[in-house]
Amino acid sequence: MIEARAAAGRNSPFGAFQALMWVLGGLLIAFILLPLVRLATTSTPASLTHAAETAEIRDAIQLSLQDAAITAVVATFLGVALAYVLARRRFPGRSLVQAVVDLPLAVPHTVAGIALLFIFGRTGWVGAPASHIGISFYGSQWGIITAMLFVSAPFAVNSSRVAFEAIEPNFERAARSLGATPWHAFRRVTLPLSVRGVLTGAVLVYARSISEFGAVVIIAFYPVTAPVEVYNLFLRTGLTESASAAVLLLAVALATFLVLRALASGWVLSGIDRERR
Amino acid sequence: MSVADRDLVLSGLKTRAGSFELGSIDLKVSPDRVLVILGPSGAGKTMLIDTIAGFRKPSAGQVILCERNLTSLPPEARKIGVVFQDAALFPHLSVRENVRFGERARGASSHQRSDDLLNQFGLGALAERAPRSLSGGERQRVALARVLASDPELMLLDEPLSALDQPTREELRSVLQGLLVELKIPAIHVTHDREEALSLGDDVGIVVDGRFRQLGTRREVARSPADEVVARLLGWLELGHGTLERGRVSVGDLTLTNISDDYSGPVYVFYRPEEVLLGDASPEVSATGQFFGVIESVLLTVPLARVTIGSKPSVTVLMLHRDLDRLALRPGVTVAAVIPPGALRLIRATSETE
Repeated sequence: MIEARAAAGRNSPFGAFQALMWVLGGLLIAFILLPLVRLATTSTPASLTHAAETAEIRDAIQLSLQDAAITAVVATFLGVALAYVLARRRFPGRSLVQAVVDLPLAVPHTVAGIALLFIFGRTGWVGAPASHIGISFYGSQWGIITAMLFVSAPFAVNSSRVAFEAIEPNFERAARSLGATPWHAFRRVTLPLSVRGVLTGAVLVYARSISEFGAVVIIAFYPVTAPVEVYNLFLRTGLTESASAAVLLLAVALATFLVLRALASGWVLSGIDRERR
Repeated sequence: MSVADRDLVLSGLKTRAGSFELGSIDLKVSPDRVLVILGPSGAGKTMLIDTIAGFRKPSAGQVILCERNLTSLPPEARKIGVVFQDAALFPHLSVRENVRFGERARGASSHQRSDDLLNQFGLGALAERAPRSLSGGERQRVALARVLASDPELMLLDEPLSALDQPTREELRSVLQGLLVELKIPAIHVTHDREEALSLGDDVGIVVDGRFRQLGTRREVARSPADEVVARLLGWLELGHGTLERGRVSVGDLTLTNISDDYSGPVYVFYRPEEVLLGDASPEVSATGQFFGVIESVLLTVPLARVTIGSKPSVTVLMLHRDLDRLALRPGVTVAAVIPPGALRLIRATSETE
């Protein structure tokens, strides 16, 4: 009886329940894809070429790529350290620290921008002393990176933390008892085993940073990043004119994201992955 | 350095984790001895290994090895080799790289020792393989070679055989036996398997709920369990509770006599199921009290069959399969049985045990 029912379940994967799940899931996929496809099809090759040849648009995209990459490196460097502490240590207030890490996900990004200005603005706690050594966050690349780091940091920490937590603790203990210092054990055992998670975090930080508008526009309207440039064009020229720049940004952002994602999970790590399975 | 200088000494060692406390522990393991710590899951065995190895800070006491006080040293400075239950081979490194790990960590330029050990453990052909492609037994061999390549002054073995199937476990147990004799460094092996404990340990310590219930030579612990918890762990079966008086104790309908113990008072009576005699009671033990009972069940377990006699209290006997056939023992048959005095252990019922 039970076997018969199980066999029936296996033979009819498209029962009412399955169909409902497919329909609801499909709606969401359509909701994500339709606007992007529509946007992409509004532009002609000529309008895209024109957009790519416009110096402002090109500079803005270049700036976004560059700052998102720097942010990914900084966030990964700092995030890995915090992720390791959260994954390996039990201390009072640990869940509070974890909540703080997730805070940027809940803070509206314009609010984040204003909050950052209080600290990194010309009269801010960090901004004021930094201006004495010639570093200004307001209206500079430093400011853009600061805003990107704030909104994307949770991705770096959480992705690495999950990777560290998945590693058998006895690996590090074995390494230590064999004579490895904590640093040696981390570098030779923990990091190689969690590299996929760490790199995935870096790619997510990059993707989140390149798309950031709200926090960036408040702390640094100039120099103009790509999302800000698209917004400017939209205000100045309207929907159709801004679409070409938007498509260009979309293409560059997606292309770099997909390449980095493939690198993080694909052939670069295939050797390590083979060992781990 | 003389043999005595290479002892492991634990003095007043205590470790705490939440409300669980291990210790206080005072013991010494000399380089020519293997101490096996036997205890049920959750007794604190792994916690003890962790504390000695330096993975866990003791709340009190000292760990002294080769006359060095290691208590405040990090694990990498202790020269203690640890073999884990799951072998803990680094999955991203080959067998060879695993065995070389300790040499690399210490910055050694030669890998002669690790290469020799690979061959000694029969791992030469597997050297370039990934750990995931090895069998459980091969993994533990690699783990042993890896530990030895770092020239430890103490070996800690945390249930290294418990994840293996029976034939592999027996094979690796004999490898370990030979190795531990050959090594001439102190070794502590923890396990929940009494057969493993009694075959590997020169000395056996019984840990229950974070405390040593008994510590002695293998023979002492096996033949004279100190309390009923130790007795049960070592495979003694409980007959019941009785009062010993003038070498005689009655439990239910059974009366056991000729017991050479001057004590008078309440006792728990334990017996070795494999030493109970069935069928024809031999004259030299008949004086201890022969009893009759109907066989309730016969289980054809290996290596010994398990016969339960429906006396009051019931008595379980472990016996050779060929004797089952010879004596035609099957359920419903009435048999004569004798528990020889040497197969009995009377444990005084103190206020703690009652």
